[in-house]
Amino acid sequence: MNAAADYAFPALVVARLVLAFVPLPNALKYDQQLSSPLTSYSRLREGIYLLEHGIDPYSGGFFRHSPLLLSLFSTVLPLTRYTSPLLWTAVDSVAAWTLVRIWRLRTGAKHTSRDTQIASLYLLNPYILLPSLAFSTSSMENMLCLLAIMFACRGRASASLFALASLVHLSLPSILLAAPLILLNISRPVSRLALPRPFDIPLRKTLPLITELFGYAALLTLASTIVCGNWLWVEKTWGASLTLPDLSPNPGLWWYFFTEMFDHFRPFFLMVFSVHLLIYIAPICIKFQHDFLFATFLLVGVLAVFKPYPTLSDPGLFLSMFSIFPEIYPYLRHPIVTALIHLHASLLLPLFNSLWLRQGTGNANFFYASTLVFGMGNGAALMDAIWAGLRIAIGELKEGYEVAQE
Amino acid sequence: MRWRGCWRTCFLLALHLVAASAQGEVFNEDLTLRPLRDGKLQARFSFTTLLKGATPRDPVALEQDDEAQHYTLFPLALGQILREHAVTELHLTLNAGKWNYDHWGHPDEPGVGTGAELWVWMGDTAVASVDRRWQGLRNSLAGLFCASLGHLDEQRTTSPTLTFQPEGSLPDFAHPHELRHATLPSEHVCTENLTPFLKLLPCKSLSGIASLLNPHKLFDADWHGLGVHVRYREGAGVEVRLAFQAVIDPVRYSHVGRRDWSLRSLFDHSIEKACPVARSSKVRVVLPSETSYSISPGPSDITDSVATYTVDTAEEALDVSMQWPGESNFKYPATSSVPPLTDISVHRNLKGTSQAEARLTLEITNNLPIYVSAGYLETMPWHLQFYLHTLHAQINDAQRDDLLNIISYTPPVPHSRPALLQAVLTLPPQATLHLTMDVAKPFLRYTEHPPDAQRGWDLPPAVLVPFAFGELSSINGTTAVEPPTMPSDRLKRATAQGRRPRRMYTPVLLVDLATPDFSMPYNVIILSCTLIALTFGTIFNLLTRRFVVVEVDPISVPDTPMADAAADGTPR
Repeated sequence: MNAAADYAFPALVVARLVLAFVPLPNALKYDQQLSSPLTSYSRLREGIYLLEHGIDPYSGGFFRHSPLLLSLFSTVLPLTRYTSPLLWTAVDSVAAWTLVRIWRLRTGAKHTSRDTQIASLYLLNPYILLPSLAFSTSSMENMLCLLAIMFACRGRASASLFALASLVHLSLPSILLAAPLILLNISRPVSRLALPRPFDIPLRKTLPLITELFGYAALLTLASTIVCGNWLWVEKTWGASLTLPDLSPNPGLWWYFFTEMFDHFRPFFLMVFSVHLLIYIAPICIKFQHDFLFATFLLVGVLAVFKPYPTLSDPGLFLSMFSIFPEIYPYLRHPIVTALIHLHASLLLPLFNSLWLRQGTGNANFFYASTLVFGMGNGAALMDAIWAGLRIAIGELKEGYEVAQE
Repeated sequence: MRWRGCWRTCFLLALHLVAASAQGEVFNEDLTLRPLRDGKLQARFSFTTLLKGATPRDPVALEQDDEAQHYTLFPLALGQILREHAVTELHLTLNAGKWNYDHWGHPDEPGVGTGAELWVWMGDTAVASVDRRWQGLRNSLAGLFCASLGHLDEQRTTSPTLTFQPEGSLPDFAHPHELRHATLPSEHVCTENLTPFLKLLPCKSLSGIASLLNPHKLFDADWHGLGVHVRYREGAGVEVRLAFQAVIDPVRYSHVGRRDWSLRSLFDHSIEKACPVARSSKVRVVLPSETSYSISPGPSDITDSVATYTVDTAEEALDVSMQWPGESNFKYPATSSVPPLTDISVHRNLKGTSQAEARLTLEITNNLPIYVSAGYLETMPWHLQFYLHTLHAQINDAQRDDLLNIISYTPPVPHSRPALLQAVLTLPPQATLHLTMDVAKPFLRYTEHPPDAQRGWDLPPAVLVPFAFGELSSINGTTAVEPPTMPSDRLKRATAQGRRPRRMYTPVLLVDLATPDFSMPYNVIILSCTLIALTFGTIFNLLTRRFVVVEVDPISVPDTPMADAAADGTPR
């Protein structure tokens, strides 16, 4: 079995590579579930093309990728028909391998029997596989997130913070993960869910880490400004998450809300939705101060539900990370309901999108309803994870006793 | 009594003429009638007023009061607008219909894009910027012509200097001139636009050629458009040309399907009186190449197959008519057997059934046996976003991206600025070039949709300007060479030296963008907020409430009251 397990991961990678070279159907290329205006491959190619022809890609409102990606793909790594599948397969493989390493660091073992299971849960998860086949840059965001977590688990603070700074440059809402990751750097990733105890934050250790994170972010900002030659990129990339200029449909909750909004209320609700993301950081970090890896996992879940421009990769990462917390499985209250809601929504999302935009027999409400169901499914998974993470601390109960909350 | 009245009128008239010529205002009017080969007739009215010795106002002097302008023939309302905003050159066209270049050839007035098109050259100044004066000019013209030109705002304004070169001369001001161009393809033309147009003429529609402008007949034409063109001619002065073009179908009006026409059958009027202040007032009829027609009355002059009639009040009312006595009814020429009348033919389409993305295609056919270089201009509002890296050129399924040379591209900014694409296409002889480009359709906010949202948005026409003809090597040097030894009328015309390149407009396109459900703002807000509040509330509860272990005894539940349940606060 060990030999088979050894060959399983390379076999998965090869199968994934073969799948990536299959000619990409146009439906996937422009699909709105798989890539958002911030992560779309066509827009990335457009920005690189404009840059190569001497036009500032950020002077228009179409290109919203980070200047780091722009400089990477226009100089070191050209995106062609052959390099793109290789690159995205490599990104996915690195992310899967990183997830396995996080699991190993959490259990403290060098090899476990669940390694292959975890790698395949990541690589074969359709929520992660399909955006990767569509060459959405959200796969790279997932990889950077997992790398940041993995380096934090190992205690390699600099690498972790640099990965986090790069992640924030690609996607601003990921700043939510800064607090638990910094604290994860200081604490151990080993599972302590069953034994909660308070954690005194040593300021003399955290302040340098915060400074280091700001330093890396400033360095990357400076590099981006040098690449662009001006500051326009800030408004177009980070500003997009805050002001929602592009109202293309996606599996999230923001787009239709702000489509139907009158202009008078737009700034207020944009502020409310952005602040709403921030208010989850402190409570989750305080309540799970004994296990910051779990807190990071929960904040990934918060991002999956409430992110401004999500794709299917974001809930995909959340659901794949469930695999490294097997201790909470017995305490999940409604896993089957959540799974069925997810199945329901994942089948209806592309169907209603097509009915609305391609066939014209449905209207926007159909797709909006399916995004609401999808949001309910992700919310249910998040709530179940929080309950299970807290419930595990109470442990086994004798016959005739129940746990409740007052 | 009558003699004295008559002498008084003549005296006033002479005074008028002396005053006008002393100031240096010259008014000419002209009607050109051209029978087309599909039985239609192109009529072009042109009313030109030249203000001798005048120059456009220098925008640097805008803060000071303008010197007094005394106009007799020059339209006062238009003159005031021009001086208020210091405009050097102005072209406004309001057209309806689709100009069929293949059958009708090039129009006498080149601006035939459907809808409203306004382009001006204005000098720049620090006192009042070009953009502010552009806005003031649009609103003034909107008021003058009763057209919604105020909609030509920054979301439709570009500066395509390669295609819209000034037709007059630009005086030497301190700062260089700038071009502002905007199109509104969905604008309609009707009598409300014609009435103020006629008020700008010295004789209004009472006498002269303008008396033929009968709105009932004009707006029934297959194609009609009015234009106002102001330009500065160095050494001559400021010239205002008011033009009205129409393509009328006499075959449709006749009961027996004949293409005979007369001024009375076309316009329901004939020219009764000449305009007294017109220096020259002429009706020109372009004679068809075949000889089976007859024209009456006899023209005063025939040169170069153009018959000229002078409108003169001394004679009786002028009613030019042309008949084809040999024909019983008009037979339309088969489309396949007649070649297109223009050097290139263009078709532009938007393909695709999705409301999220589409493909813009442009098919250009070169009808000449030599290479043609054409400038291609797209001013696309942000309602259609180009994927420029997918712009490919093909001839007969072979990729020929070398024939496409993009000169400049300004990416669109949503809610702010349209896209401007200027390219040069090299067309091989007798070949059809297919350009394809993927485009994305954006999703608009609730408040941005127009009242009839499902109709879609009109996209402005693309403009093609064939400017260089000849061998391929000379095209790169942008000079025309002698034609190869294959003389033909079109070839001679195409390579004539000193001829200004003529613009060609494609038809407008209609793009339908995805609409949200307009009845749903409240419902969407409450549904989304409910979901967010449920999630937040549940998470808040989970994180802040204490866990308690409750004893529940399953056997004694029916007998003992619920107070037996112990509330213990200690987790195990």
